[in-house]
Amino acid sequence: MNGSQHILAAFHRHNISTVFGYPGGCIMPLYDALVDDVGTEHVLCRHEQACALAADGYARASGQLGVCIATSGPGATNLITGVANAYMDSIPLLVITGQVPSGLIGTDAFQETDILGMTLGIVKHSYLVDDPEDLPGILEEAIDLAQAGRPGPVWIDIPKDILLSEIEAPAPARTEAPPADCPEIGPALAMLKSARRPLLYSGGGVSLAGAEDRFRTFAEVSGLPGVVTLKGIGNAGRNNPNDLGMLGMHGSRAANKAVDECDLLFVIGARLDDRATGKLDGFAPNARMIHIDADAAEINKLRPAELSLRGDLNAILAALTDAIAAEPLAIDAWQKQCRTWHTTGGFRAADNEEPLAPITGPAFIRQLSGITGDDTVIACDVGQHQMWVAQYYQFAHPRHHLTSGGLGTMGFGLPAAIGAQFSDRTRTVINVTGDGSFMMNAQELATIRRYNLPLKLIILDNQCLGMVRQQQELFYNNRESQIDLDDNPDFVAMARAFDIPALHIERTDQIRRGIETILAYNGPMLLHVAISREENVWPIVKAGASNKEMIDEPRKTNSRKEQVA
Amino acid sequence: MKPNHESASQRYTLNCRMNQEAAALERLCRVVRVRGFRISRMAMESTGDTLDIALTLEGSRPVAMLQSQLEKLHTVAGVELVSDTMARSRSA
Ligand SMILES: Cc1ncc(C[n+]2csc(CCOP(=O)(O)OP(=O)(O)O)c2C)c(N)n1
Ligand SMILES: [Mg+2]
Repeated sequence: MNGSQHILAAFHRHNISTVFGYPGGCIMPLYDALVDDVGTEHVLCRHEQACALAADGYARASGQLGVCIATSGPGATNLITGVANAYMDSIPLLVITGQVPSGLIGTDAFQETDILGMTLGIVKHSYLVDDPEDLPGILEEAIDLAQAGRPGPVWIDIPKDILLSEIEAPAPARTEAPPADCPEIGPALAMLKSARRPLLYSGGGVSLAGAEDRFRTFAEVSGLPGVVTLKGIGNAGRNNPNDLGMLGMHGSRAANKAVDECDLLFVIGARLDDRATGKLDGFAPNARMIHIDADAAEINKLRPAELSLRGDLNAILAALTDAIAAEPLAIDAWQKQCRTWHTTGGFRAADNEEPLAPITGPAFIRQLSGITGDDTVIACDVGQHQMWVAQYYQFAHPRHHLTSGGLGTMGFGLPAAIGAQFSDRTRTVINVTGDGSFMMNAQELATIRRYNLPLKLIILDNQCLGMVRQQQELFYNNRESQIDLDDNPDFVAMARAFDIPALHIERTDQIRRGIETILAYNGPMLLHVAISREENVWPIVKAGASNKEMIDEPRKTNSRKEQVA
Repeated sequence: MKPNHESASQRYTLNCRMNQEAAALERLCRVVRVRGFRISRMAMESTGDTLDIALTLEGSRPVAMLQSQLEKLHTVAGVELVSDTMARSRSA
């Protein structure tokens, strides 16, 4: 077997059935081997950035490893944004790039870039293969490493001659990682019991650890009020009355209030990002803290934890659940307080009574949430529409909400939705995007058409870079700068040019019909939703301010929304 | 990135053992820089499959945070803090 065939053999060994890539000079030997391969579906996106983001979306939706492939030079550099996106959100990716032949490395050869050097800061680990005999072992190690502990992207850069070399080394046997142990939970239990106002603070680490079910049971059995980070949305399911939703910059007043008042913060799989905590000085000022994370370097990084636990999250949660089931926490008054905050300071967008009124983002997302089924996957882009999805869509599971959290990558949504759809062709996948973000990877309409994916696209079109406009309005004296997109293309015509049917709506009474039409259509379809340019995301905490300094929507004289103070 | 703490800058000596690999030193130096430390002296010795690196560093952030970030590198086998002494105060 040559190097390329070893790569495919590693895919087979690890049940990697779908990869996203784009060919070119130095990776051609791998594409040649693909011709004879049975078992690997190669998805050709129309830009390498989309290959990386699709692999990321595939991994987020399925919990499996995402794989992307590109050639050297521009192919490899085009992957970078997508790989950085996966790195920031701890998504397991295997990235394979061709490199110029070994003898030409360091000669500024055609399409040579030092991709290993350029990407050191956005990978969990990386390799430049310099001996063909190392390749099988590197593949094995890389695939395991990407998924072990705190997951992340692992990049293998392979010179063209190595892809062509006959390799003697046998394909290594699969090594199973030893299961993590369960640490002693006694001290955590004691802290929970002695707290009067304990609060769960959970993030993306719950689903990354495959602990969604255990977490949900723990939250239900313990009755602990909880807040979630952007990536933890869905952790508590749709119907937990003690779930206060997202905290932070665009979080709910209820969630931020609970953090402010709690006396114990129980952080599970979250890294205390500044968008969530606001200014650290004012964050959870009265709370002791327990921190569970797969990554030791997250403990005490931003705020000291009185107690930290590492190990098998499922086992930890199971042990805590059993102990608390046997002897429940006495937190009735605190639960009641949190529920009151939730009713008065949660997210609510009142139904607009006027059928002819323009559509608002919150009202649209709320209806979308009501109409779609429990297992729908929503892939967002970045901006106001992303925050409205986080605020108003009721997610049943964290893997149903694909959002670019750490990097905030405009253009994420469409390729991520494509990846998610490849992980399960039968499920409903919807990309909710903005007019700005959509144009960052609009070429992927061609990928949808090519593979006839039944994806649904929804553009919330406010004819501007809404999130930036909002910040300019509120924090830069309303001095608008370079945010106008009123010369957007005709998105309906654009979709049709890719042979994707599309529908335009603009009035409140058209929302339901619009959503039902695209969902019922047997194939890809785009819904273009015209919304007001002036709408803001509320509430908001100014970057760098404390979450206590949350700003609510100023009351409008003719209020369309019921805003809770 | 310059840590904008006004707290005094400290000087540390770290011994770091890494597995041989083309980008080993680059990875190490990158983490030191990004996490807010400056290298004032560095000695390295390569034996067989391992690299032993002695670093003298300055910075005003907690060195334990740097240590745990270095330990995360896949090719780092161990990091040992051998001494820390107060360096001159950083002028703010
Ligand atoms: C690649 C990239 N460039 C720039 C930004 C900065 N940014 C954040 S939100 C935003 C506006 C997004 O506009 P749109 O997609 O129309 O969403 P809206 O806020 O209008 O809902 C911009 C420019 C970013 N997050 N990503
Ligand atoms: Mg917009």
